[in-house]
Amino acid sequence: MNTLLIIIGAPIVAAIVATLSKKITAIEYTSVSAIILSTGATLFLAPSVAKYGIVVFSSIFAVDALSMIGMLITSVIGLAAMIYSVGYLRDEVKKEIIGHSRVRQYFVLINLFIAAMLLACASSNPVIMWLAIEATTLSTTFLISFYNKATATEAAWKYLLINSLGLLLGFFGTLLYLTATATAPETFSTWQTLVANSAFLNPDVARIAFVFILIGYGTKVGLAPMHTWLPDAHSKAPVPISALLSGVLLNIALIAVLRFRAITDATAGGDFTQNLLIALGLFSIVIAACIILIQKNYKRMLAYSSIENMGILALGFGFGGVATIAALLHMIYHSLAKSTLFLSSGNIFLTYSSTKIAKIRGVLTSLPVTGVVFFTCILAIAGLPPFGIFFTKLYILFAGAGAHPYIVATALVAFAIVFIGFLRHATGMLFGEPTEDIIPNIERDRLLIAAPIILMTLLATLSVYLPETLATLLMNASKLI
Amino acid sequence: MTLSLTYFLISLFFFTTISMHAVRKNAILVVLYAVQSLAVVLLLMYGAWLDQSIILSIVALFALLVKTTLIPRFFGMLISKNLITFSSSTYLKLPITALIVAGLAVLPSTHVFAPLLAIAPQHAHEIAFSLGAFFISCFMLVNRRDGMSQMIGLLSLENSIVAFAFFAGLEQSAMLQIGIIFDVLVWVFIATLLASLAYKQFGTLDTDTMRHLTE
Repeated sequence: MNTLLIIIGAPIVAAIVATLSKKITAIEYTSVSAIILSTGATLFLAPSVAKYGIVVFSSIFAVDALSMIGMLITSVIGLAAMIYSVGYLRDEVKKEIIGHSRVRQYFVLINLFIAAMLLACASSNPVIMWLAIEATTLSTTFLISFYNKATATEAAWKYLLINSLGLLLGFFGTLLYLTATATAPETFSTWQTLVANSAFLNPDVARIAFVFILIGYGTKVGLAPMHTWLPDAHSKAPVPISALLSGVLLNIALIAVLRFRAITDATAGGDFTQNLLIALGLFSIVIAACIILIQKNYKRMLAYSSIENMGILALGFGFGGVATIAALLHMIYHSLAKSTLFLSSGNIFLTYSSTKIAKIRGVLTSLPVTGVVFFTCILAIAGLPPFGIFFTKLYILFAGAGAHPYIVATALVAFAIVFIGFLRHATGMLFGEPTEDIIPNIERDRLLIAAPIILMTLLATLSVYLPETLATLLMNASKLI
Repeated sequence: MTLSLTYFLISLFFFTTISMHAVRKNAILVVLYAVQSLAVVLLLMYGAWLDQSIILSIVALFALLVKTTLIPRFFGMLISKNLITFSSSTYLKLPITALIVAGLAVLPSTHVFAPLLAIAPQHAHEIAFSLGAFFISCFMLVNRRDGMSQMIGLLSLENSIVAFAFFAGLEQSAMLQIGIIFDVLVWVFIATLLASLAYKQFGTLDTDTMRHLTE
């Protein structure tokens, strides 16, 4: 229990310190130290979970391979986002865009956000997981409206209303699954007891419940057509928050869908959930591809790329078999690549003060390190070899080619459109000469450079080498879905 | 006697949910929400009395405090602070709205939702009412242009789920119920703060004015 207490408790303590302390430096140090501690404890826990399959902490907290993957993604990207946040906010304070009270508010909320995501992963009770995911919505609403501009408030309003509606639908679906354990003596139902009691669940109730779960949590995942909040929220939030929203939160909600999918499949067979996941996955990929091609705002482009990648994950989990492991690996690669892209786009924004693609020229000249990192991750996310995303996409398509050739062909065309769109926008931004009013001094701040470089290095390393613990976790997690 | 009490409460609940669609004044909408919440709280109290459970009684009292006192007070402050006495219009005209509401009210009785009514056959009618209120609340969220009506629609949806859980025998442990009620309270606090901010920036809570973020 001590390890889990450190993992979830450290960010909560940092949030309390940020609430009480008036010294910004103290808040920064506490927040970074807390996430380092949390990440360390998560890495310490991973081998035990890989070895034993599941580590049970109490009647409501247990970490299995799927939870562990979610927690590793959360803590690693949380650490990078926190380090970056320090540099990013210092720059914004220096430019008098925000004041000290906003910085305090930011660190309170980001710590609560990270703690809520870790809690959602570690909870073995579906209602507590729902509460934790709801807490992520509540903690991020004012991070999305952080700049107090009309557009940011609009994005936050859409985010709060649409996600809350989605989560209520998800809660209704969750309750329906609990009919399986309504007669059981346990006070708290767990994922394990729900799977074990799936025989007591009416298959028709399970199907209706899964529809509510997929629409409900699917809203949070950003699957089309429930994705409308996502580009607005991700483009208006401060970039470290966008990195966490895109790179982590979407995955946590998807993990919730996968948990319920396992129960539904055990009750009603696999075809029902498979068809729904494939349909929504393909729809998300196609919608995102079309909009990426004509996008004018680079943060929105990255947000639509997240919708595309959530579609790829849904497609992979829908196809099943080897595509399941590929999708899990894709989840990790996408998280790392997308967070790197958002963080490096933050450097571009701090230098150019615009998110319009047309106004960004010559990034490789003005911000050489950021430019290289951004371009590398654009190539990675577009699915170019030797990056891991190329192989995960390939495996997912191979797995589905036999049974669903038309779906695979459509996805392939969409991937080509995304590739063209990304390359067109990125080359426009990276090459050419920057305008004379650009002052390229952002890269002097090591914090703003370190975080994206660390994440990109991790992405490149994991593309060619998978540690044994992670490989075991992936294998074990695929068996749970 | 007990059957007619629960039937009366769920009927009152259902009636207030439908009435919300006909109301234009925000203050009346808040009163309807408070009445709807009171019906749910009385159901919870009745459940606690049947189980002779002190902890469930405490949960019901907490729900009473939050849903019939604190939340209406938050909304009252929002109305008086921003002078939003009237809610804005709906996307659909009243006759079409009434037709759709009627359709949604009978939707739970179709064969698609029959498995849900069979969860607790002895309460099939009450579950059908709860589900009807659930769909009608969802419709309120999409049909209203006004941000405050959308918030109340969402809370009405949450009440419908609580009513459904009560009749389907899916009530959660006391700790989880308190957690959920607390979550609702925090949600309302954040939503009203954001609504105030939106009112300052847009001069209205009509969500039709929020159209800056398009492709």
